[in-house]
Amino acid sequence: MDLAVEGAGADVAVVRCTGRLNMVSAPALREAVTGAIADGRPRVVVDLAGVDFMDSSGLGALASPSEQVLMVLKLSNIDRILRPHDDVATAFDE
Amino acid sequence: MSEHQLVFATPPDDVNTVHDFLESVWGDDTTLTDEERMAFELALVELTSNVIEHAAAGEGVACRLSVAITEGELTATISDTAEPGSVSLVGRVMPDEMAEGGRGLALVQLLVDDLGYERVGDSNVWSIRKARPTA
Repeated sequence: MDLAVEGAGADVAVVRCTGRLNMVSAPALREAVTGAIADGRPRVVVDLAGVDFMDSSGLGALASPSEQVLMVLKLSNIDRILRPHDDVATAFDE
Repeated sequence: MSEHQLVFATPPDDVNTVHDFLESVWGDDTTLTDEERMAFELALVELTSNVIEHAAAGEGVACRLSVAITEGELTATISDTAEPGSVSLVGRVMPDEMAEGGRGLALVQLLVDDLGYERVGDSNVWSIRKARPTA
């Protein structure tokens, strides 16, 4: 999986994931999220549009999910706290 | 009807080896729907992750993965050489919303019709079966 982190505004970080989010790549996402927070950007948007596979290992750290990602979120009853957004822009509206 | 087999050892292999293997399996069979592939791949990767995770404390693990596709069902078995399993398969439920782990086997049970485990000689043998939608 590829990860790209960029700042947006004063306190927001956008983490873009591309590829498979599984037990191999999940630690790197977790690190990117905690790193962004440590750098003074406590609001983190994780962009999952480019994720073509996610499993329960990927649930530890999570905006615009693909069909496969949505399936995992729903089956896990976790879609209520990890609310899917259509894209990064609408995630900022809340 | 097709059968596929993968032998791998971790380290150096990991669950990405299983993903790559499944890509070739899916390429071979044009009758499977996207939903069938998605659900079975997730179940198999969760199961493999579980095997790898529980073996990681020891000296790694060697695995043989078999996948069979018939008109009626999708089945897979994973046999490994790890220590005997102590995981209860009965009534796995999703943990608390905020939990960071423990969802793997519960997910597998939601995705397939049967999930089985048995100790055979020095191996743990995990199996999953998913009936295919009738045309």
